Amino acid sequence: MYKDFNGNKVYFSTGGLNLVNDKETLCFVHGAGQNHYSFTQQIRYFVSQGYNVVAPDFPGHGFSEGNQTTSIEEDMLWLAELLAFLKIEKATFIGHSQGCLTILELAEKKPELIMGLVFVAGAMSIPVNDFLIDTSINNPEKAYDLMVTWGQDSYGSFSISDWPGHNHLAEGNAVMKMNEPSVLSTDLKSCNLYENGKQAASTININCLAVLAKFDMMTPLKKGLQMVENIKQCDYKILECGHFLPIEKPKELNSLIKNYLNSLK
Amino acid sequence: MSEKYKFDTMSLHSGHVPDKETGSRAVPIYQTTSYVFKDTDEAAALYNMEVGGHLYTRISNPTIATLEQRLASLDGGVSCVACSSGMAAMHLVVTAICSSGDHIVASNKMYGANINLLQHTMTRFGIETAFVNPNNLEEIEKAIKPNTKLVFGEVIGNPGLDVMNVPEVAKICKEKNVPLAIDATFNTPYLMKPISYGANIVIHSLTKWIGGHGIAIGGAIINGGNFDWGNKEKFPTISGPHFAMNGISFWEEFGPSALTAKIRAEGMYNFGPSLSPNNAFYILQGIETLSLRMKKHIENTKMMLEFLKDNEAVSWLRHPDLEDHPDHKIAKKILPLGSGSIIVFGIKGGRDAGKAFIENVKLSSHLANVGDAKTLIIHPGSTTHSHLSSEAMKMSGLTDDMIRLSVGLEDIEDIKIDFEKGFKAASKISNKRS
Ligand SMILES: Cc1ncc(COP(=O)(O)O)c(C=O)c1O
Repeated sequence: MYKDFNGNKVYFSTGGLNLVNDKETLCFVHGAGQNHYSFTQQIRYFVSQGYNVVAPDFPGHGFSEGNQTTSIEEDMLWLAELLAFLKIEKATFIGHSQGCLTILELAEKKPELIMGLVFVAGAMSIPVNDFLIDTSINNPEKAYDLMVTWGQDSYGSFSISDWPGHNHLAEGNAVMKMNEPSVLSTDLKSCNLYENGKQAASTININCLAVLAKFDMMTPLKKGLQMVENIKQCDYKILECGHFLPIEKPKELNSLIKNYLNSLK
Repeated sequence: MSEKYKFDTMSLHSGHVPDKETGSRAVPIYQTTSYVFKDTDEAAALYNMEVGGHLYTRISNPTIATLEQRLASLDGGVSCVACSSGMAAMHLVVTAICSSGDHIVASNKMYGANINLLQHTMTRFGIETAFVNPNNLEEIEKAIKPNTKLVFGEVIGNPGLDVMNVPEVAKICKEKNVPLAIDATFNTPYLMKPISYGANIVIHSLTKWIGGHGIAIGGAIINGGNFDWGNKEKFPTISGPHFAMNGISFWEEFGPSALTAKIRAEGMYNFGPSLSPNNAFYILQGIETLSLRMKKHIENTKMMLEFLKDNEAVSWLRHPDLEDHPDHKIAKKILPLGSGSIIVFGIKGGRDAGKAFIENVKLSSHLANVGDAKTLIIHPGSTTHSHLSSEAMKMSGLTDDMIRLSVGLEDIEDIKIDFEKGFKAASKISNKRS
């Protein structure tokens, strides 16, 4: 769905349906260099489960126009304003990768918005090595390649998919190419700069869920587990896959999120 | 393009790892029409294309999906749909994108059935095609109209062996915002990957070199995921509302794979040209040796060209690797490993000599296919086009002395000996004439 928001054309996927006032809302927050297609196999599934879904393309990503945000704090403010604009008072936020930093920050600064929190392949900080940042600046397409190939475990690398006929390596690459070339480096720099994750995690007072990837080379499992330890009540599950978990293990992720949502009721 | 493994590794492994439960190293043949749903939730999710999975083999099947994933990875595409034949693939692409009132620009040097589908069948449904010279860039550009929804060509044309300048045609298509679909049957991804040159859709007849054994008919569509379908007025079938699934836009929900989703949700659902799981398995066996076979096809083709070049019974010889071929330069650029293993040549003595040649070779099989591991030949003048006069054949770009040879993997010396026998019989006819 397209809306004019803050003077820009902004896109957020709702799974093809209009938002309805009396339904609970799930907000999917994508990661660095990604857009709403990270959650293709989650969005319409949860719409069918009876939720409103909002999966925005952050400015400059996917179909959204506007100047890209340059820090996690700005990402958080943009998201909070978008929800206010859509008159959504509370939601369960599902972040992937950089999206986890955004929702950690949101949990600390706007706790009134939070119904539930799901961290997918996330951590409290995502330091990015200089090589990847340099490559993302000088040769974005090479950086997409690196991220996509690091991001899948050997199943994904052999184009194994539950989704008949899909080759996630090329597809992940195509999704990243839909963004402006400068988007990835700006996102990676935002990740690198963010230092408030530990503090933000310590303020969370609700039950959360973390779904982590055993073979994650972007946000290593160890760092995901540190986040779990720093949140008062955070269940976690480890799936045997790489960083692009929503694509590699969609059914397992959907089932875990579904159980978590039921536990909030 | 992102790939972790190289071509030969992908040919053997893409789309499959040993089965978790049984350990089966080979790809299992899932000979089933349907799949038991875990619960009603899962059933609804599959029908609605919310998550991946299988519900009915007309739409998808695990053995076929392995083939699709292997083909997508070899061609560098985001996704693939395999189907019952190369012609089914072509039909699926046209009907996914075009509706009555739309227009296509296509090469006039394509496989006969590709031309017939556009010229005689699609026109009955209100889809018109302008046929153009595949290497006249100006003509292609001029032929594209506001209602043109597809540009179509073959990398190596059948049977004329014209080579399309895919990178330059792709540039024109990009500028005009029209998807470029390429039939890559004659090159296979081993010799050339059209997506890497800017094409958006690749079509294969799997029946030929990809299978390589001549035992299974099949086709595939590989989606490059590199076309922007966002213009709802121009591409309503992809970005406008779908007739089912709450009227979703495939473009908004599936992005790079929107075309694939459309083909599966409409073409496979409503036309039903599904591949059989058994044939998918056979074709997978072929792909395992694709690069080995293509290397030998090319090697044998080179030797056969040498042999035919100096042969007295041969009046003319055509192959894009020969310097006198009009598309030699572009062939060298986009097909550096070789321009396929089809050779066409003229036999001295015309139609009757051609007939004598065909009737006197033994090892080379006289049949309608190409791309088999075995050497195949056909003489259009005494078979597919026997009802046409010499003049009428010329009008369709053929001559009555023309032989089409699909070079196989035999020891080339044996094929040469076989050909000598055919040439001897042919020359008796041509000598009688002169
Ligand atoms: C270039 C080309 N495309 C498509 C086809 C059609 O393939 P199939 O016979 O698998 O339908 C053929 C078959 O000869 C062909 O040569």
